[in-house]
Amino acid sequence: MAGMELLSDQGFRTDGRKPNELRRIRFKKGVFKQADGSAYLEQGNTKVLAAVYGPHEIRGSKGKALHDKLLINCQYSMATFSTQDRKRRPRGDRKSQEMTMHLKQTFNAVVLTELFPKVQLDIYVEVLQSDGGNYCASVNAATLALIDAGIPMKDYVIACSGSFVKDTPIVDINHLEESTAGAEIIVAVLPRFDQIVFIEMNSRLHEDHLSRVMDQVMNGCKDIFNILNQQVKDELCKKAAIDKLVDAG
Amino acid sequence: MADVDLSEPEKVYILHSVQENLREDGRGCEDFRHMEVETGLISNTNGSARVRLASTDVLVGIKVQLTPVDPKKPNVGRIEFFLDCSANATPAFEGRGGEGLASEITAMLTRSYSCFSAIDYTSLCLLPGQQCWLLYIDILLLECGGNLFDAVSIAVKAALFNLRIPNVTMTKDEGGIELDVSDDPFDFKRLDVSGAPVIVTVNKIGHQHVVDASEKEEACSLAKVMLGITEKGTVTAMKKEGSGSLDSESISEMIESAKNVGIELNKCLLNILKEEEAKIEEPVGFLR
Amino acid sequence: MPTDTRRITGPETSRSPYDYCQIEISKEENQNELIKSDKKRKDGRLAAQLRPIFLKANVISQARGSSYIEMGQTKVICAVYGPREVMRREDFSLKGQLTCDFKFTTFSCRQRRQHQQDNQEKDLSVQMLEALEPAVCLHKYPKSQINIYATVLQNDGSALSAAIMCASVALATAGIEMYDLVLASSLGVLNTVLLVDPTLQEEENIANETGKSPQNAGTMTLAFLPSLNQVSAMTSDGQFLFDMINKSMQQCIENCQKLYPVLQQCLVEDVKEKANLTHA
Repeated sequence: MAGMELLSDQGFRTDGRKPNELRRIRFKKGVFKQADGSAYLEQGNTKVLAAVYGPHEIRGSKGKALHDKLLINCQYSMATFSTQDRKRRPRGDRKSQEMTMHLKQTFNAVVLTELFPKVQLDIYVEVLQSDGGNYCASVNAATLALIDAGIPMKDYVIACSGSFVKDTPIVDINHLEESTAGAEIIVAVLPRFDQIVFIEMNSRLHEDHLSRVMDQVMNGCKDIFNILNQQVKDELCKKAAIDKLVDAG
Repeated sequence: MADVDLSEPEKVYILHSVQENLREDGRGCEDFRHMEVETGLISNTNGSARVRLASTDVLVGIKVQLTPVDPKKPNVGRIEFFLDCSANATPAFEGRGGEGLASEITAMLTRSYSCFSAIDYTSLCLLPGQQCWLLYIDILLLECGGNLFDAVSIAVKAALFNLRIPNVTMTKDEGGIELDVSDDPFDFKRLDVSGAPVIVTVNKIGHQHVVDASEKEEACSLAKVMLGITEKGTVTAMKKEGSGSLDSESISEMIESAKNVGIELNKCLLNILKEEEAKIEEPVGFLR
Repeated sequence: MPTDTRRITGPETSRSPYDYCQIEISKEENQNELIKSDKKRKDGRLAAQLRPIFLKANVISQARGSSYIEMGQTKVICAVYGPREVMRREDFSLKGQLTCDFKFTTFSCRQRRQHQQDNQEKDLSVQMLEALEPAVCLHKYPKSQINIYATVLQNDGSALSAAIMCASVALATAGIEMYDLVLASSLGVLNTVLLVDPTLQEEENIANETGKSPQNAGTMTLAFLPSLNQVSAMTSDGQFLFDMINKSMQQCIENCQKLYPVLQQCLVEDVKEKANLTHA
């Protein structure tokens, strides 16, 4: 019944987007001075901060160190005021612990861990405002923070979510769609290798529709990649130009 | 807090420069660093503010909730502070690492706001003896660059200024009074923050004292005095912190400067908030 | 919040009956002044009069040092353990570490306290630590820690100052090297009246009074090192006009100086007792 309203007869979603349209993405790298890398990312009303510390010596017990590769340490937390109803704790609950694990697995797949044996890299993600797609925004923000920190990676990791409403696959779903639409697919990919590093699906979806939704979500990932990559490149070129001027002058 | 390790010569340098009333970043002893205040950037909250004081970064979100009154104080609403030290600030805050600092800051805030003149607590009570508003003031510490207490208190005051409490209509029903919270975003009331205090921390460095100490200066200081000060110069809370002791004359001097700075700070803050409100631009937040 | 699962706690929503009758009581009592017409307080003291103090050192045989203090009906017992080795190796430091644990017993207040330290108790622990730390020669105890446990057996106001003095005597009897004894004194302020060493009732009355926009309404606690003439801790709650702070501070320091001989005498007696024991 909710599905009726999620997609109007004219083919628009509740927030006025078309089925294959992303929310507005805005981001800024290097928002903090103290962290080695940091980024702030907005996807519509979902706002995420990510900070990267490292690679540095192992903190705490040395037993955690991996002799042949980098240890990636993640923490996902949500501000107590980020959700519609106040959260009692910013982290430590099952959901955030699961999210922490997923982030860790995702970034283990993409960071060139074998270059840094016996040391540690911290990735901290803080959700300031949540409106669906927390995992996706967290992954995208953390990728930008890693780029800001200059950590060697195979590729960007880009995550995007999707769902299926009224025989139409929709992409980058917001909180309302997340909670009422039924099936939800979350995918993290390496866009230039066309590889999937993380995939998760909730609720049920007919097998016949799966590939259509997947295609749409993969397209979403590519779009996000293009947006992020464009701005990162632009900024880098600008910086390079300034450096050149400084060198010349 | 990120650990600051200073060598002896560095400490001596800071000490001497403070003595000359010309601190390492060029400020005088009673000057604040550059500060940015922005309100209304988290739409999921009833009031929010972000303060960036040099590299100290604080985000505050306030949510209001209807709750039964405390039978001990049946005519007033309640506020509750919660502070989360984000690991973004320093890896030492990971997990439960920041809880010690968090409880210290919330204790000081709770005390500063515990006096009744701070905000109009009776206006937060809807039905005396039954229902009142509970303000959850949630603070997120995003980066630590010294002088956390002051930055947090400024952010809290700014968020209280920004707070929009939805209006409630009460209808008498059989079996009691029914409360209906308005869901119109433009149907709200504001809170008067003219009595709300800010915390001013005064650090003793050598024979001098400074306000708004940077992390390096904090590392040189053995004792500090914190005061919750209102715009009128009333002290709502006071605390001495640090492992050193102070003689009574220097305490008098320190609280005197804290008072002067506090009164000025309150005025500036209120002006900036009013100015900001008059603008219609969308808040830029972290994208600046 | 982590809760202690091994203990049976009351239902979360239960409330003490005092919560409800207090409304009636306080209404009546607020009409009465804190100081009656004969210039005396409810318990018969003058405004600037301290309560009688009972102080005894060495009351816990297992502890390295201990003491027990009574200030009127406020009763605090304090034990000091250490210097002992730091448990965790990462915490090693060249300076000794001092820890303080302030706890109200469950039965010490009108309302039952929980077994676990609540926020107020944590805050008081920190304040106590900050009052004592400047007095202890921590550089003489590298790589070790000294633990102080203060337990309030009965709270009738000024519990923090009682605990600070109690701990300072306990540290002295434990033979921990100190620059000076730490004295502490509390003060309740209502408008222009300074009430020395306030009782719980006076503290509560002052806290409730704040609703009627008085000029001053608050309590202050100050810790003082008498022979160094240094203030080691100072905290205030409630609202003070600025000029009142200096006045209250001076009053607190004066009271601390009055208490100095009491602590000295207690320590002398303790030493005598120990000497007698070794002779016998």
